[in-house]
Amino acid sequence: MKKLFAVFASVLFLSFQAHADINPNKAEAFVKSVTNTGIEELINADVPEAEKKARFTKLFNQDLDLDFIGKFVLGRYWRTATAKQRADFIDVYRKLNIQTWSERFNEFKGKHFEFVGTEKSKSPDQIFVNTQVPMEEGAPAVVKWRVKETDNTLRIVDIIIENVSLAQTSRSEYTSYIQKSPQGIDGLIKDLRAKLK
Amino acid sequence: MKKLNKYTILTALSVLLAASPCRANEDEGALESYNRAMFTFNSVADHYVIKPLAKGYRAVTTDFIRERVRNFYANLKEPASVINHTLQGNVGDSGVSAGRFLVNSTLGLLGTFDVASGWGLHNNKTGFDKTLAKWCVPDGPFIILPLIGPSTPRAAVGLAADTVADPTYWASYYTTFSKDWQKYSFYYGLTALGFVSVREANIELLDNLTANSVDPYSTIKSAYIQRRLKIDACAGSEPKPQEASYDFDFDDFED
Repeated sequence: MKKLFAVFASVLFLSFQAHADINPNKAEAFVKSVTNTGIEELINADVPEAEKKARFTKLFNQDLDLDFIGKFVLGRYWRTATAKQRADFIDVYRKLNIQTWSERFNEFKGKHFEFVGTEKSKSPDQIFVNTQVPMEEGAPAVVKWRVKETDNTLRIVDIIIENVSLAQTSRSEYTSYIQKSPQGIDGLIKDLRAKLK
Repeated sequence: MKKLNKYTILTALSVLLAASPCRANEDEGALESYNRAMFTFNSVADHYVIKPLAKGYRAVTTDFIRERVRNFYANLKEPASVINHTLQGNVGDSGVSAGRFLVNSTLGLLGTFDVASGWGLHNNKTGFDKTLAKWCVPDGPFIILPLIGPSTPRAAVGLAADTVADPTYWASYYTTFSKDWQKYSFYYGLTALGFVSVREANIELLDNLTANSVDPYSTIKSAYIQRRLKIDACAGSEPKPQEASYDFDFDDFED
């Protein structure tokens, strides 16, 4: 009976551990380091464009949980997708995102992030880190980072700029596309590949 | 006659607004085929006319001049802010907008320089759309307007009302030209330049979007609707955070 209680207690403890809330200070420090690296090593660095793209790719793969984002973005189609379709989609989605964002570094020149606290998410392993970017004209732009902790590693799973979630926007685009495409997910993967330069 | 047209449009939009109690959401139903057709029309007009004009404008002006032009148009929106802050019950903000308009129109050389910000009168624009939102008027469905682009009935009514509060609209009305159409030619010219100025500021953004999206219509629609949720704060009701709805979905797809 004692043994049973011990097992029960340890299971309870472990499950409590697994659902321990993500530490807000740790999450904020993580986003701070990502934005600092981005500003210092990419936007303000005096290096050739190719080197910038290589640095961005590294930062992107390391700090964004693309496997998780990809799942969310495909929405209900993720469940019916084959293993190959899933892998192919994540691969092309990763490449297309790197291409999209590396074309837009210069827009962030001279900008900086102010950290204005965190906000709880409904999922205990996720948290929002709130930042704002002062603009030359008008109110600062509000940028929220959704951070997820998996196996003690923090990663970004969404960026919400002025209330527009990048993951949500991609999801609307892709699910609407799959609905209309006669080739379904395969058609989407093929057309996304065609967008790569 | 021109003036009558404006009011006719306003009335027509109000009727449309009253007839559409639902809020803008991603499931458009029957409107989608109209919206997609209008989106295509706008894209073609943009490709052949508006974007070339915006590129031409960029080619013949400098960053400095373009910023002056943007400031000039931003200043013209201050009177609408004065009225709408008052309608929303924010008298203090209304005073800030009035102060900005007075300072920037004079010392700021017709609004081309934002002197007022340096005096602590910071930009805090609002419009009739936000007033209607505060009065709990529903947004209505997502619609693509000819040339103007993504909108909702409430946003369109707001835009029309703010246009009437634009001082150049009245300036052209009361200038003493002999023919009726000439009364507005100055105003239409200014409006066209304002349009080109906005398009110029978005050249890279829209190029990037169309180059990397497999369905630019869905991308723009989704972003526009999410953005609208931010201003939809009906007085007395709790603002609904956007995260609440999609947190569930994130969990839903987690293994």
